[in-house]
Amino acid sequence: MATTRRFPGPSKLLGAPLAWLFALFSVAVAGWMLLTSLKSTRAIFAEPWSLPTSPQWDNYARAWTASDFAGATLNTVVLVVGTAVATIALSAPAAYALSRILTRWNSGITAFFALGLGIPAQVIILPLYVMMNELYLVDSLTGLWILYVATSMPFTVFFLTGFFGSLPRELEEAAALDGASANRTFWQIMLPLARSGIITAMILNIIQHWGETLFGLIFLQSEEKATLSLALLGFLQRMQYNGADWGGLFAGVCTVVLPVLACYIWLGRRIIEGMTLGSVK
Amino acid sequence: MAATAVRATEPTRRQPAAPAERGSPLTRGRRRLFWPFVVPALVLYVVFYVLPALATGWISLNKWAGAGPMEFAGLDNYRRLLLDPVFQDSFANTLTILFVVGGATFALSFLLTMILRDMAGRKAVRAIIFFPNIVSGIVLSILWGFLFQAEGVVNQALRAFGVDSPPNWLGTDNLFSVIMIGLVWVQTGFFTTILMAAVDRIPKDLYEVCDLEGANAWQRFRNVTLPLMWDVVGVCAVLWSISAIKIFEFIYAFAGAAGQLPPTKVWNTALYAYAEAFASGVPKYGSAAATGMVMLALVGVLVVLLRRLFRRDPVQF
Repeated sequence: MATTRRFPGPSKLLGAPLAWLFALFSVAVAGWMLLTSLKSTRAIFAEPWSLPTSPQWDNYARAWTASDFAGATLNTVVLVVGTAVATIALSAPAAYALSRILTRWNSGITAFFALGLGIPAQVIILPLYVMMNELYLVDSLTGLWILYVATSMPFTVFFLTGFFGSLPRELEEAAALDGASANRTFWQIMLPLARSGIITAMILNIIQHWGETLFGLIFLQSEEKATLSLALLGFLQRMQYNGADWGGLFAGVCTVVLPVLACYIWLGRRIIEGMTLGSVK
Repeated sequence: MAATAVRATEPTRRQPAAPAERGSPLTRGRRRLFWPFVVPALVLYVVFYVLPALATGWISLNKWAGAGPMEFAGLDNYRRLLLDPVFQDSFANTLTILFVVGGATFALSFLLTMILRDMAGRKAVRAIIFFPNIVSGIVLSILWGFLFQAEGVVNQALRAFGVDSPPNWLGTDNLFSVIMIGLVWVQTGFFTTILMAAVDRIPKDLYEVCDLEGANAWQRFRNVTLPLMWDVVGVCAVLWSISAIKIFEFIYAFAGAAGQLPPTKVWNTALYAYAEAFASGVPKYGSAAATGMVMLALVGVLVVLLRRLFRRDPVQF
């Protein structure tokens, strides 16, 4: 703040409440989502903002059994972790090479990957469906895993290329002086140095696929293979025939959101910086 | 490489070598790693991204149900798209989201950025408003739709303020507006965060000069803040163009059930492409592919225009 000004101007006095109001709206939605998941359907509409008089934990039990959120959670965890690990395993070496090994191909290939960021999924999904169908990988978690890893390449390679590029060059030169081969330099020195960027890339990848829907909708068809997003949609569908069960629906919603919220509270700064800082550099 | 390699008459061990020198053992060893390291990711990208995109271009010129022979149709799929009232609505909705939601999101983001710049607790507010951006679009859609139910919180609040007959928010006449407002809520935190990071890089002394000169808030924004963050605004505009055209889950979940679709009045091109290929009685891959190509062309045109619009001489500070 400028020391010459004793009182904040009118625009600032009016502005702060607006910002807090906007933030409090999101907090209110989150809090109300939690409350709703513990209420009976009648109480949800009769008293939307009251605390539940007797928490309806069987909302969660119903969601987890009737729409098999337990199975969906397991499918999603396995799929998401598998995707993140494979994505990093393929992207980190590529990003290292593109940022640290100078050839005439570097900038062209990096730009080539960046192009992928602008391609909507609708542009690639038809041929992918035909291809995967011929390989018997439709309605297969393995097939979806392959697609998730492949579609993660543009962002992750691009992100890690920027990250490796920011690491100091002296350490590589020191390793060379000690007689380390180029391969060993990568595995023993540069990869550990890039741990921070790699963790961020993994987190962003996990968050993105935790709630992914379009590919799941098209490539998974059996109920027992459903991911969390599909289980949620399935629950919505059931409400059309079995009557509204908003408590159970919100229990399902919380099952999807709470892990993301926990991850965000723990690693929020890293998530925010990972998603946005590249835009400012 | 510009440098010419000179072979030493005797091999020299452990001698420091300039990294850029062609003949350096380090450089040779590293260059040998280049393709083995890059090719796996590149192959995956080409096979699952680039080739499918090209294949979609070809499919868009054919009449095809996804199995059996293709029937070459030239530009018929595109002509039929132009005449399809549902596609016309979908394309118009895509542009509306792009410009109306984008305009509102950016206006709100700029406002919040300026407010948060000097505000106590700004990191907490920034973290809170960013959170919707990382939550699944399906979940956000369910939450947002529930707020606007006939007996939902919004209508209860309106009745408390004396409005006896609130609108039918989720009816076909109002649903698209409800969706647009929801999208603004979800996206604002993301762009505010980027803009805040850009503003934080502007030297404080420029604002101190403004204060000495008696500049008001608008003058500070117009003459100092906006010019110095212009490049980042350009990046945000490109990011918005790409993500706006891709929006699918948030709209899709308003159908209320898997396997069904929301009313066509709220479709965008992403939903139209999905519906043509996977949710209509007879799959129309040619039509879906043509829609995909229209989406891709729209991204391309917007990115090129935005780069031209935001191009200017670099500013040093």
